Amino acid sequence: MGIFGNPEEKKKNPKADFSNVQSGSSSTAPSPAASATAATYVVKQGDSLSLIAKEKYGNANKWPKIYEANKDLIKDPNLIYPGQTLKIPTL
Amino acid sequence: MFRHSRWLFAAILILALPTLASCTKKTESETMTPATAVAVTGIDTGRSIGSDYRVTEKMDTFTPKDVIYATVITSGASPSAILKATWTFQDGQVVDTTERTIAPTGETATEFHIAKPDGFPVGKYTLDVYLDGNKVQTKTIEVKAS
Repeated sequence: MGIFGNPEEKKKNPKADFSNVQSGSSSTAPSPAASATAATYVVKQGDSLSLIAKEKYGNANKWPKIYEANKDLIKDPNLIYPGQTLKIPTL
Repeated sequence: MFRHSRWLFAAILILALPTLASCTKKTESETMTPATAVAVTGIDTGRSIGSDYRVTEKMDTFTPKDVIYATVITSGASPSAILKATWTFQDGQVVDTTERTIAPTGETATEFHIAKPDGFPVGKYTLDVYLDGNKVQTKTIEVKAS
């Protein structure tokens, strides 16, 4: 076994793939007033700003709205990372 | 004349400092109050939930094709609190992260669920629950072959 582990063992135990995990949430608590708190979206693997804009606004071309609202988090609009929580402003 | 003015300025500054400090302290505690008002009092996991979003039968062991529900119970009130559930597999991979902003007015139940159509890998999973960015509770569950 070298420093990179046993290749045979890796073949037997390949890394689990969680890319198709479905998730959701519901609550008995009301949501804050829409005007008081902007909606948020947690970036998943394979997401882009235009994909998120299409999902949230129904129009991929609205991605600059999300970029503008998250300039403190996003340095390059082509680079967003899984796990980032983005603010989704109302149009 | 200038020397007297300097002494007068220094005296005013010394007298004013404690007042300024107490003002700052008060503002800090006022802004922290809403965040501490809500607390996570429990997490239950199970295969199904009722209309009240509470787990109907609590369990910690699941089969690969189960929908895994976790109900987070909170107490307290806040105009806005962010609950986040992060599920992590035993090898450290993050399975899912879901966030929900709530405005509780008393005890509430918030459910988070995950499912994997082709089945979850067998092993141990950790559920970390965060309230306003702070990890508040952790629970371990296990997926066993059916």
